Amino acid sequence: MGDDSFDLVACLERVRQRDQVASRQLVEHLYPLVIRIVRSHLPRRVAEEDLAQDIFLKMFTRLAQYQGSVPFPHWVSRIAVTTCIDQLRAQKRRPEFRWADLSENEAEVLDNVLTDERETTPGDALAARELVYKLLDQLKPDDRMVIQLLDLEQKTIAEISTQTGWNQTLVKVRAFRARRKLQKLFQELQSKEKS
Amino acid sequence: MNKFDQQWRKLTALARQARDPRDTAMPYGFATRVTARSAAAPLSLSTAAFGHIAVRGLLVAAAFGLAAIAIDYTTYVTSTQTDAVVAADMVGELLDPS
Repeated sequence: MGDDSFDLVACLERVRQRDQVASRQLVEHLYPLVIRIVRSHLPRRVAEEDLAQDIFLKMFTRLAQYQGSVPFPHWVSRIAVTTCIDQLRAQKRRPEFRWADLSENEAEVLDNVLTDERETTPGDALAARELVYKLLDQLKPDDRMVIQLLDLEQKTIAEISTQTGWNQTLVKVRAFRARRKLQKLFQELQSKEKS
Repeated sequence: MNKFDQQWRKLTALARQARDPRDTAMPYGFATRVTARSAAAPLSLSTAAFGHIAVRGLLVAAAFGLAAIAIDYTTYVTSTQTDAVVAADMVGELLDPS
């Protein structure tokens, strides 16, 4: 998506006329956007390339439905997000979260966050990221999506509403429900750590 | 802000600092594969549409057939009975000595 000279409107017009070259150019143009969404919401055991391919196939199938009311990349983002949610829903079972499953770095970061005994270092960032994803894995797919967009990607409620198609009240309810579940997980971890 | 909120904010702020080192470059042949598959998809869609229409046609034809049988049933029964009467008359005429 870094190519500013790319004429998206003209490309879409050619894609509608079943121009294969334009279709390839469109995929190339949107790939970085789609793969970033896939990677941040990737369900376990699903290959990122397969998921990206599904998203692009949906995009081509639904292209006739695109009316231009939102920018095309936003429209594709919504397809990507809903495809990821569908994949997460399909997995159903979520692995149990146990202190013993944490790596040494993750346990250290969590301990630090819970006890607030020392300042974090930049080296803790990767472990914190892994830890957050493990915690998010415990949430329902829709709740997980909201928290991830809200707290990790720092999107506003309005932006999440646009990206997911859920109304703003629903987004707030899901965020509240997710935070309550995360709080419960934190409490469980604290009690396990003490024991 | 309660204690959990503080802890969660601290954790997510730290997690946000971790950049994904993976490249966003597209795998070789990806666009060609996707384009080829999407080009094949409308064919299957039209096949599915044809199948749908064919099933509807079959149902309509079956309904017409049943309606035709229902309407024509009385005519069929009547004509069968008439045929029987005519045949009986012919036999009667042959056997009639007068």
